[in-house]
Amino acid sequence: MAKDAEKSTWKDTIWNPSTREFCGRTASSWGLILLFYLVFYIFLAGMFCLTMYVMLQTLDDHKPTWQDRLGTPGMMIRPRGDTMEINTHNTESWDMYTKTLDNFLSFYNNSLQAEKNDKCTPDQYFIQADSGDVKNIPKRSCQFNRSLLQECSGLNDRTYGYQAGKPCIIIKLNRVIGMLPGKDGQAPFVTCGAKKEDSDKIGKVAYYPENGAFNLMYYPYYGKKAQVNYSQPLVAIKFLNITLNEDINIECRIISNNIPPGSERDKFAGKVSFKLRINTKQ
Amino acid sequence: MFEMNGEVDVKMKKKKKIKKKDRLEGMKKEMDIVSVIHKTRRRESWREYGLTSSKAAEVLERDGPNELLPPKGTPEYVKFARQLAGGLQCLMWVAAVICFIAFGIEFSRGTLGCFDDLYLAITLITVVVVTGCFGYYQEFKSTNIIASFKNLVPQQALVIRDGQKNQINAMDLVVGDLVEIKGGDRVPADIRIIFAQGCKVDNSSLTGESEPQSKTPECTHENPLETKNIAFFSTTCLEGVATGTVINTGDRTIIGRIASLASGVGNEKTPIAIEIEHFVDIIAGLAIFFGFTFFVVAMFIGYAFLEAMIFFMAIVVAYVPEGLLATVTVCLSLTAKRLARKNCVVKNLEAVETLGSTSVICSDKTGTLTQNRMTVAHLWFDNVIHAADTTEDQSGQSFDQSSETWRSLARVAGLCNRAIFKPNQESLPIPRRIVVGDASETALLKFTELAIGNMMEYRERFKKVVEVPFNSTNKNTLMLSVHELEDPMDLRYLLVMKGAPERILERCSTILIKGQEMPLEEQWREAFQTAYMDLGSLGERVLGFCHIYLNENEFPRGYKFDSDEMNFTTSGLCFAGLISMIDPPRATVPDAVMKCRTAGIRVVMVTGDHPITARAIAANVGIITEGSETVEDIATRKRIPVEQVNRRDARACVISGGQLKDMSSEELDEALRSHPEMVFARTSPQPPSSPPLIIVESCQRLGSIVAVTGDGVNDSPALKKADIGIAMGIAGSDAAKNAADMILLDDNFASIVTGVEQGRLIFDNLKKSIAYTLTKNIPELTPYLIYITVSVPLPLGCITILMIELATDIFPSVSLAYEKAESDIMHLKPRNPRKDRLVNESLAAYSYFQIGAIQSFAGFTDYFTAMAQEGWYPLLCVGLRSHWENVHLQDLQDSYGQEWTYAQRLYQQYTCYTVFFISIEICQIADVLIRKTRRLSIFQQGFFRNKVLVSAIVFQLLLGNLLCYCPGMPNIFNFMPIRGQWWFVPIPYGILIFVYDEIRKLGVRRHPGSWWDQELYY
Repeated sequence: MAKDAEKSTWKDTIWNPSTREFCGRTASSWGLILLFYLVFYIFLAGMFCLTMYVMLQTLDDHKPTWQDRLGTPGMMIRPRGDTMEINTHNTESWDMYTKTLDNFLSFYNNSLQAEKNDKCTPDQYFIQADSGDVKNIPKRSCQFNRSLLQECSGLNDRTYGYQAGKPCIIIKLNRVIGMLPGKDGQAPFVTCGAKKEDSDKIGKVAYYPENGAFNLMYYPYYGKKAQVNYSQPLVAIKFLNITLNEDINIECRIISNNIPPGSERDKFAGKVSFKLRINTKQ
Repeated sequence: MFEMNGEVDVKMKKKKKIKKKDRLEGMKKEMDIVSVIHKTRRRESWREYGLTSSKAAEVLERDGPNELLPPKGTPEYVKFARQLAGGLQCLMWVAAVICFIAFGIEFSRGTLGCFDDLYLAITLITVVVVTGCFGYYQEFKSTNIIASFKNLVPQQALVIRDGQKNQINAMDLVVGDLVEIKGGDRVPADIRIIFAQGCKVDNSSLTGESEPQSKTPECTHENPLETKNIAFFSTTCLEGVATGTVINTGDRTIIGRIASLASGVGNEKTPIAIEIEHFVDIIAGLAIFFGFTFFVVAMFIGYAFLEAMIFFMAIVVAYVPEGLLATVTVCLSLTAKRLARKNCVVKNLEAVETLGSTSVICSDKTGTLTQNRMTVAHLWFDNVIHAADTTEDQSGQSFDQSSETWRSLARVAGLCNRAIFKPNQESLPIPRRIVVGDASETALLKFTELAIGNMMEYRERFKKVVEVPFNSTNKNTLMLSVHELEDPMDLRYLLVMKGAPERILERCSTILIKGQEMPLEEQWREAFQTAYMDLGSLGERVLGFCHIYLNENEFPRGYKFDSDEMNFTTSGLCFAGLISMIDPPRATVPDAVMKCRTAGIRVVMVTGDHPITARAIAANVGIITEGSETVEDIATRKRIPVEQVNRRDARACVISGGQLKDMSSEELDEALRSHPEMVFARTSPQPPSSPPLIIVESCQRLGSIVAVTGDGVNDSPALKKADIGIAMGIAGSDAAKNAADMILLDDNFASIVTGVEQGRLIFDNLKKSIAYTLTKNIPELTPYLIYITVSVPLPLGCITILMIELATDIFPSVSLAYEKAESDIMHLKPRNPRKDRLVNESLAAYSYFQIGAIQSFAGFTDYFTAMAQEGWYPLLCVGLRSHWENVHLQDLQDSYGQEWTYAQRLYQQYTCYTVFFISIEICQIADVLIRKTRRLSIFQQGFFRNKVLVSAIVFQLLLGNLLCYCPGMPNIFNFMPIRGQWWFVPIPYGILIFVYDEIRKLGVRRHPGSWWDQELYY
């Protein structure tokens, strides 16, 4: 008896035929409440859009309002990856790396650079200030020719040394708008070393351009809208006689008198580390 | 003797096997230790010798000590485990386990940030354990309150063992022991009297009878409760001495069985417990539903199983109001403390709220509604009825005391009285002094003491020569004494007499009118009859007084008066007047009953008194209102037989215990339904058919929430059965206190009304508090929904959610418990527990879909602002998730072409958490302000009147600042020091919340009953 009553009430809560109620409301009641919520949410969405619009109006097109997180620029290597394992006898093991580098460096071809970018005065910032309200746009960029990378440019050695077991790694410093990476005319440079236990295994490392420096003329960066053809300066490193057939942990860091050391927790702020292994056995 | 015990034991054992419910039924039918009563085999030698010590020790070993075991409690670890295994808690456990699994998998993969999952798991477990400990502590504390009521002073008993009288601890008594009791002792076990001398026992704690019962060795009745030869454990011997053998000890005593009977009646769940459980079920169900839906959606979109599980867990964490149970508990215990200050001690926290929904109060008369002391209420002399002052503090009006007759009457009342004050009480006000003597003599003594002055000295002046006391054995309903006069020259003796008025009148031939002795003519007799009837109909106990100056010649000084021979004049006396007494209502009661009535609460009176007395008291305190008639009244007025009266015409109804016994449940329901004013009189003191229990059950069948007051052991089943049992702190027995949910320390009915008021207030405030707590679940949930569906970087983290739930928002939600009532809550009807739920549809809809929605928009506005100002435009964010969360991508470009490492993006994400957190906080400040009122404008209620709430807002802001700006926070709780500007982004939404709610309230006030009111008033 009681169970039957319960059953019917349970059914009634979904569709009550006597009062024509669906989930406790009649059609007109549902209509009204849905209309109310429609109006309510349209109003809210309107208010949201308005505040977003106002907020977007306050933004500068060329420089973010704050750069709180970018105090220390990140560093990245090409080809990407935490570990690289190549086999000098096995073309397939490094083929993709050379392809990546080819691809990456194609933008830096001397002809392309000459066509799009200017020759700048080296060793000094290439500052293109706005004159008052008149924006100095578009801003010009300096040439970074692929040939500057010499042995690692891939122009002479199309395998970037991978075949010979003397691989090239290209290092870039993350773009940060307005960053001036060195003061007193001293350019920041990259230095690479092995981690403690591997320090005697790394062998000799060559840097291109010389000293592994990022020339000051490539800074400051003015953002992708103002400086469309910005050529990010690169540093290539070549391991000349690295110990073969062993894992070697390598860390490269930027040395600069104007870049604060990054947080301990960010392993890529002003430094980059990776593992390299070159196998020579078949 | 011992075989008999064996028999009883077997019976007991059988009984134990029967389930509790059956036991209750069984108890209702019979209380059978009858067999024990009849088997009175006496051996004279044994009667003097008692048990041997060795035998006693043996029996003690077998039966255990003679004490009432407290009702079996649940083991402590079970209680604690129960706190950890509630519906919400289980959900949290599941979430924690998912976190652990996620951590395990991510850790083995060596993912950066996998420790976040571990921290979250630990935080979740901490939350469950801490709230569990909190709940357990609350329960533990309330259990301790009960324990503190137990009297720790050990009871002594005088026992005869090995032929010697010993004072031993009552705990060591065994069946068969021979004990002696005397006036003032507590009976140490169930005892069959084998010798008694003027022994009277007060059974009131057991049966509720206020009249002392005399005990004799004769077995007078089948029923052990009626028979004269059994004295019960825990009752008090008032006078006389008795010797008896112990027939039952410990839990096998009648009182023990009733106490265990009380624990057998299932403790009904309090309405608020049901409410909260109901609500938690819904929440848990919704959380699982949402979580599962998004789990499926995520799987469908193509997330990995592990990720989908983490979504599931995150949604559960976001949706479950972790702080709710703590908030509710704190709100309730705050109110309990407030009540304790007003003399209501609440044992069961949730009972506070139950009290607020009470619709029937079933109140005991004696001690609760009345002062529990006989007091002179009226006097009849000079053919006029005078009203005496019956107030507790003697603040009322007194009558004209100039008449000569009054002086004579007072002298008779003062002299013909055996009651005396206990010494050394001069500093106490007269009504509170302790008197040795029976109730009516006490009343007369106090009355004359107040009217004339020092009675002890007065009696000295009129030296007593002889006295014939009331004697129930020879049916003498009169008491007389003969005194010398205070004037030493006047050698006459004065004989004073009091007693049943008609018996007194029989002995009178004259009557005092205005100090003059007039012959007792028919006219006076009629006047006497009318006065006697009038006073009787007031439910008062009437005594007649008369006196005579004995003839000096017939009874010269030194005459030997003999109380047995009655060798003196006892007729032809001079009638002085009538004095009537009643146990008057407490001064505060009529007002409190009136308040109950306006609050829609029915007060039903239950008393052992005569129906007429019961009715009079009920009318006096307003339980039966002026103009209400009972069926009998209508019959008398219309001069028709009772049967012809339409029962529905009578508002009031007095049902006696006898009638109640014959009524079926349906008839009782019908009576309760058709008569709004009910009084149950002369209720049988028999516990098995305890009238309150039947009445409570009937009221509950009619859908009422019943509060029952009681003090005796016999009330404890009803106290348990009631939705809220209220025991008396002063008069109440331990069993009653044990069974009750609440204890009135001052035994005052008015305190119940205060309790009701507080209960209603806490219901309103809990509603506000829950609404506040629920609101933020939506802005906690929507980030996940947007995160999963639109793939933006996560706007709000799990740990941040827990910080909102358990740190910043707890204090504000508790502070709502301090909010003053919006309107006169005592003028509203009690809520219908089936319809007016704590959390109803409109409350949830308004909190979730309106205020919660506004808060979500505020959060997202601030989130997109923080992202855009750091270089990530809103449109770029959409669909960014997979890149954003790619641990190997260290140069992700933002809208300006800048490149970000993973860790930089992670800290940016934490910044987003923090701004979203701040947005919720700012909106919650607006939320707590609007929750102050549900109907009134906040400007009517006042912003700063609730000081606690103001300080809670300040606290919330300070804590928010601490979380944001304390060093080390980014890596512990994922809070970043954010730019000051971002605090102000959500403020427009806060203002919107405030303004919108004011508009809502305006609509609700202006258009009651409209669509707006129905949909938006919660």
